[in-house]
Amino acid sequence: MPDATTLRGPRRQACLSLRAKPNPSLPAAVATALGVELPTTPCTHHRAGERGLYWLGPDEWLATAPAGAEDALQAALRSALTGHFAVTDVSGAWRSFNLAGPRAIEVLRKSSPCDFHPRAFAPGRCVQTVFAKATALIAGNADGDFDVITRTSYADYLRRWLEVAALEHPASP
Amino acid sequence: MLEIHCPYCGEPRSEEEFSYAGEAHIRRPQDPAKLDDRAWGDYLHFRSNPRGAHRELWFHAAGCRRYLNVLRDTASYHISQTHRVGESPEDV
Repeated sequence: MPDATTLRGPRRQACLSLRAKPNPSLPAAVATALGVELPTTPCTHHRAGERGLYWLGPDEWLATAPAGAEDALQAALRSALTGHFAVTDVSGAWRSFNLAGPRAIEVLRKSSPCDFHPRAFAPGRCVQTVFAKATALIAGNADGDFDVITRTSYADYLRRWLEVAALEHPASP
Repeated sequence: MLEIHCPYCGEPRSEEEFSYAGEAHIRRPQDPAKLDDRAWGDYLHFRSNPRGAHRELWFHAAGCRRYLNVLRDTASYHISQTHRVGESPEDV
């Protein structure tokens, strides 16, 4: 089925929480350590290959990378950053799903009050919102698929929710 | 459902994402030990509860997890402004 919705996950990634007051040297330091540009516009994220960097708040970001990279990335961040900052390995706290297919947006619409229309939810956008009575960080990627990052304790539940939410979409035109 | 403009996220979000955190701009007394019971009780428990413009604190619980100030009309529920904590509101 070419228009099927594919759901992958829950997947464990390396996740680092970065807290730092924005300052002129921060973007360059983060880009050096992670190889990903720091998103300074609210509700946006940047990707570089397998790595992602998500805006969570005015002084808070989430960095993701393939599992196993957490220690090296944490060390890189710590040596590149200066001043008052906090870098915390939160890999165990988060699990991520990937939703792809032309009707993935319908699955998201059933789950959250956010506007996922392409006009409002362009690639590069990420929102933290209520999602299927849980909470999640939803990010739109450049190739039209979505990442849903949620608390580990919600992962089993959300997997089942997303499977059921996608049931009616795979075969329909 | 209200739509509340989050000054940190820079966009309106559904009320579902927020939780109400009470009346805003309540100053903690500088020296609580010097207060009598009535004044301490007033600070702890008594709120203005107006009909009309009300300055209140909301928490963007499912979003950016920041507190924000909201000026809401308690009769019409109309939110005329929101701003970051620490920024001064325009006079009512």
